[in-house]
Amino acid sequence: MKEGKKPETSINDDSISVLGAFSVYLITGLFLAVGFWVARNKYSVDLVSDPSFTLRIVSSIEFTVVVIIYSLFRKTPEKCSYFNALGRSILGLISGAFINALGAIALGAPIGMQYLTKTIHWSFLMSVFTFVPATAVFGASWTDWHRVFASMKPTGNIEYMIFVPAYGAIVGGWFGAWPMPLDWERPWQEWPICVCYGALGGYIVGQIVSVSLMFFIRKHKNLKLA
Amino acid sequence: MTTAMTCTRLTFFTVTGIFLQIIGLSIFVFGFFPVKPTLSGISGSESYLDPFCDSALNSNESDKLHSEKLRLLYKELSGISSKYDRLILMVIDGLPAEFVLGKDGQPPRKVWKESMPYTQSLLVNGDAIGYHAKAAPPTVTMPRLKAMVSGAIGGFLDVAFNFNTQALLDDNLLGQFFRIGWKMVMHGDETWLKLFPGLFMRHDGVSSFFVKDTVQVDRNVSRHLPTELNSDDWNLLILHYLGLDHVGHTGGRNSPLMASKLKEMDDIVKTMHLRAMMDRSHDQGQTLLIVVSDHGMTENGNHGGSSYEETDSLMLFIGLSSNISDYVAATNNVAFQVDLAPTLALLFGVPIPKNNVGVLVPGTLNSLRDYEQLRALELNSWQLLRLMQAQIPSSLFGGFSCNCLLDGKCKGLSSDISECSGDKEKQLLCLFRNAVVLHGIWKSKKLTESYVMEDFSRALDAYNTFLKTASEWLASKTTEKPFLLLGLGVSAMLLSCLLCVTLFLSLFKEVYHEPKERVCSFSYRLSLEDVFILAVLLTLVISMGSSSMVEEEHYVWHFMVSTFYLLLLFKKAKSFNYSEGMNILRDYKVGSIFSLLISGRLLRGWHQGGVNWTYLPDISKWLEQVGSGYVKWIQQISNFLVIGLGLFTLFRTRTKRKSVRILAFGFSTCGLLVLLHAMRYQEAMFEVSTDYGATLTVKLIYLILSVSAIGAALVLPWSMLNKGKSFVAETGDCLYLIGSGYILCWCLLQLLLQQPINSGPILLLLIQILAISCLSSKDLQVNEWVEIAVLYYMGMAGHFALGNSNTLATIDVAGAFIGISSHSTILSGVLMFMITYASPMLFVLSLVMYIGANLRNLSHSSTVSGHQETSLGQILKLNLGFPCLVPLCINSILLTAYTVVLLLMRNHLFVWSVFSPKYLYVCATTLCTYIGVCIVAVTVTYTISVTSYLTTRRHNNS
Repeated sequence: MKEGKKPETSINDDSISVLGAFSVYLITGLFLAVGFWVARNKYSVDLVSDPSFTLRIVSSIEFTVVVIIYSLFRKTPEKCSYFNALGRSILGLISGAFINALGAIALGAPIGMQYLTKTIHWSFLMSVFTFVPATAVFGASWTDWHRVFASMKPTGNIEYMIFVPAYGAIVGGWFGAWPMPLDWERPWQEWPICVCYGALGGYIVGQIVSVSLMFFIRKHKNLKLA
Repeated sequence: MTTAMTCTRLTFFTVTGIFLQIIGLSIFVFGFFPVKPTLSGISGSESYLDPFCDSALNSNESDKLHSEKLRLLYKELSGISSKYDRLILMVIDGLPAEFVLGKDGQPPRKVWKESMPYTQSLLVNGDAIGYHAKAAPPTVTMPRLKAMVSGAIGGFLDVAFNFNTQALLDDNLLGQFFRIGWKMVMHGDETWLKLFPGLFMRHDGVSSFFVKDTVQVDRNVSRHLPTELNSDDWNLLILHYLGLDHVGHTGGRNSPLMASKLKEMDDIVKTMHLRAMMDRSHDQGQTLLIVVSDHGMTENGNHGGSSYEETDSLMLFIGLSSNISDYVAATNNVAFQVDLAPTLALLFGVPIPKNNVGVLVPGTLNSLRDYEQLRALELNSWQLLRLMQAQIPSSLFGGFSCNCLLDGKCKGLSSDISECSGDKEKQLLCLFRNAVVLHGIWKSKKLTESYVMEDFSRALDAYNTFLKTASEWLASKTTEKPFLLLGLGVSAMLLSCLLCVTLFLSLFKEVYHEPKERVCSFSYRLSLEDVFILAVLLTLVISMGSSSMVEEEHYVWHFMVSTFYLLLLFKKAKSFNYSEGMNILRDYKVGSIFSLLISGRLLRGWHQGGVNWTYLPDISKWLEQVGSGYVKWIQQISNFLVIGLGLFTLFRTRTKRKSVRILAFGFSTCGLLVLLHAMRYQEAMFEVSTDYGATLTVKLIYLILSVSAIGAALVLPWSMLNKGKSFVAETGDCLYLIGSGYILCWCLLQLLLQQPINSGPILLLLIQILAISCLSSKDLQVNEWVEIAVLYYMGMAGHFALGNSNTLATIDVAGAFIGISSHSTILSGVLMFMITYASPMLFVLSLVMYIGANLRNLSHSSTVSGHQETSLGQILKLNLGFPCLVPLCINSILLTAYTVVLLLMRNHLFVWSVFSPKYLYVCATTLCTYIGVCIVAVTVTYTISVTSYLTTRRHNNS
């Protein structure tokens, strides 16, 4: 199994260039903005006034875009069809949301009926940022997951694209929770609004970092080859 | 470090560091919280006599004399005729003087002026005179009321040390009035009832708890007004209106409700003025109406700090019949809040309270005759002089002797006045001398009936100058901070902090560099957990600078600790090997991490601590709502589980020693006794439990617990029998047993002392300790110092999970009297400390168990076979170094950082309400760490030396 994997990763490495990654990021970022725009102009809600509904709109739009794009870069495309990848990423969405919600609760997200829907919607958005691209690309391959997420040894651009923004979103969300206990009495201090802002910010920072990483690594490689 | 640190040197430096820290801390505390010398006792008739005479009058005359006689005695001695028979004190909480009197000579804003037409007309007509009465911080209700009635500015430690009794025990006006037989009535804020229990003939207290209620809270006061104004059985009527403060808290100064609230207050003033003072149909005597506010408010309606808006409180005298010419003269006056006490005392003919630092409000005595005015000033001066005598060395008073003031024959008291200069104390005495001289001149001229008006005003001025200077000097004594002391304290603490960190680093270098054969080799790379531990420390230090983060500190601890658990999980996932498969679940590791996570989350949700979010739902509130039956169930279940877990831990070592069985027996007996006590006497606990049986049971529990803990620590090391085991394994077993003994003992004690609702968290904390010890015994791949630091952090998180916060209000006072038959401050203090610091202490004590487990692990791994040759000191240093140094280091960093923060924040708005209580907690945590580390060090040293002695003897024998 291991011998078979090596050439594939190299194929994947070629399958997306830095420019391609950049355009993928542009598209996902654009649709994030579209999500917020739709929420604001079509339904006249935003993250502060109705977090659940806004998060539902944003995450469903973003999920569609992410799944459509990342399923193109699935591993072993000869074994796994495009629709297969779509299907498994729905599973990934749900299980990722579950894990994210558990993590949030362990870190102290409030429990209670009035918070339940908010937590669920937030965890779906987080799942779109973290789990969905990975499931679309890797499927259930434990070794890939372990190598990329736990050992942090990605090979190839697509893996950088999966894991750097995902960690960015998690770390950003972690930092986003900081203003919550302060007594500024701002409406955005409620769970999960500022955590969402943090996660979005972290996600975008992660995208920027991953693009620059890819850029520098390629340069490095080119230098080595030369 | 060229030479390796030996054990003795390490110990020596650590102890030096600790002592340096203690010295620095005490110097700092002494400098930052000055305890002003106060006079004890209560002013009596001696206050009308010369302060330099050692009055032969017995001090407790006031108890003996009948109140009516006392009143006449005071009247005769004072020589001031009292015009008024009754006093109405209307307190409007949070009303800034600016609303009524304007600011900087300007009349108040139009909206405020128009809301209070009647009060403004009184001011215009000269029937009322208003003062901007400057209040001292903290501008919150209770200290301000105390200042108003006692004339003294309390220090912070007053508040801190009196948290078990709120009653005002110092000499105060209300007590003086009570002693001369006044009947008093109070309607309004229940703070008065807490301050003066039993003094009021009639009262109706309202709570300031419901801040959103701006209407009903005042209606509950005003509804009594018609009947009270009709009746003539009271001498003092206190009305305390909270509504305006509530309006401020909800909407700020410019709240739309403010105008109507001011109108309501104005109507009440109108009613009282017309009914009680103008209406002469009843023969109720002359009434004086005083409208005061306890503090002001900021633009947002908050208060507590020392800005002008908050300290600008109102003092409005209505019905003084002093000749005020115009509106500007009636409104543009300045005084201090404490001035109310001497003014009222002199107006109503009672002695001025002993610790008063206020002076007579100028202009309030204008209606009195000349000699009465001077007499009043003289009495005020004498009282301040008495207070100064407690603070100035008596040698400076050399010029004065008994009755020399009366005769005008004081030594060095020439008949001419002198220009006063020199240091403050001498200047004060000089000013006093001048006033006395001028007073004497006026008196002698009055006898010869020559023209005296000029002399009168000169004497008046001299007295006023002295009073003003003396009052300022006395007030500054209570608030000034000696910077030399503070600097010295902080530098000593910095030095000790530096010492601790250096020791830690040198030990760190030694431990992680020396064994070159180890995998982690030469260059020690910081892993994620190490960085995280340091980041937590940094975050804590930074967050201490923000008052709301100090208030909500528990969020930081819980968040950080649970993040660490997640990092552990991540680390576990990292090392997860697919080929191992399901084997991973078998070694309890994942299970332990999950139990840490779950128990951590439950602990976090148990008490919604802090200040701002206490109204949010939490488990304890929910349980209490569902019914006390559930709390009882939880208590019993936790009790059983603690006993069960304890026995499991004790027998996990698989040692079949007799002593272990005795220990286990002792603990289970004790646990059952605790259970019995909980079931039987819990209801009676909140009343004064004088039940003999309960006290006896508790004392028995104390005895058994201490005997088994100390006995285990003393006896277990001697009872090693197993010859097959190595020295290290033997010591490890022994320490493990002693450590678990300590923990169990502490848990059972807490189950007894804590409130029933807290028994759940105690169980969860025990589970956490067992889980983390299980993790570390299974080779956590985390450095030793990280584990110890995490134990410290978990202890702090648990501290907040037990319902503690950084305000003094959450200290559980009820538990401090369990098992104490007679009142003893020291014993209750110790118990209170044990209750408050249950969790940090538990985690520090668990270090004994941790060291034991470490040693056992060491003995299992074969690499350390040659350990026996190494010296005793080396073993001690390697095993005891980190467990002692890491908590000391963390604590010392936090303490030093917070001291610096407190010093920087000394002028902050919340220095008294937020930062100072937190500092007391930090000091107590320091004490807790010292005690805990000391116990750990002594136990481990004792055990290791005993075991090594026994081993060498066995070697020699064989």
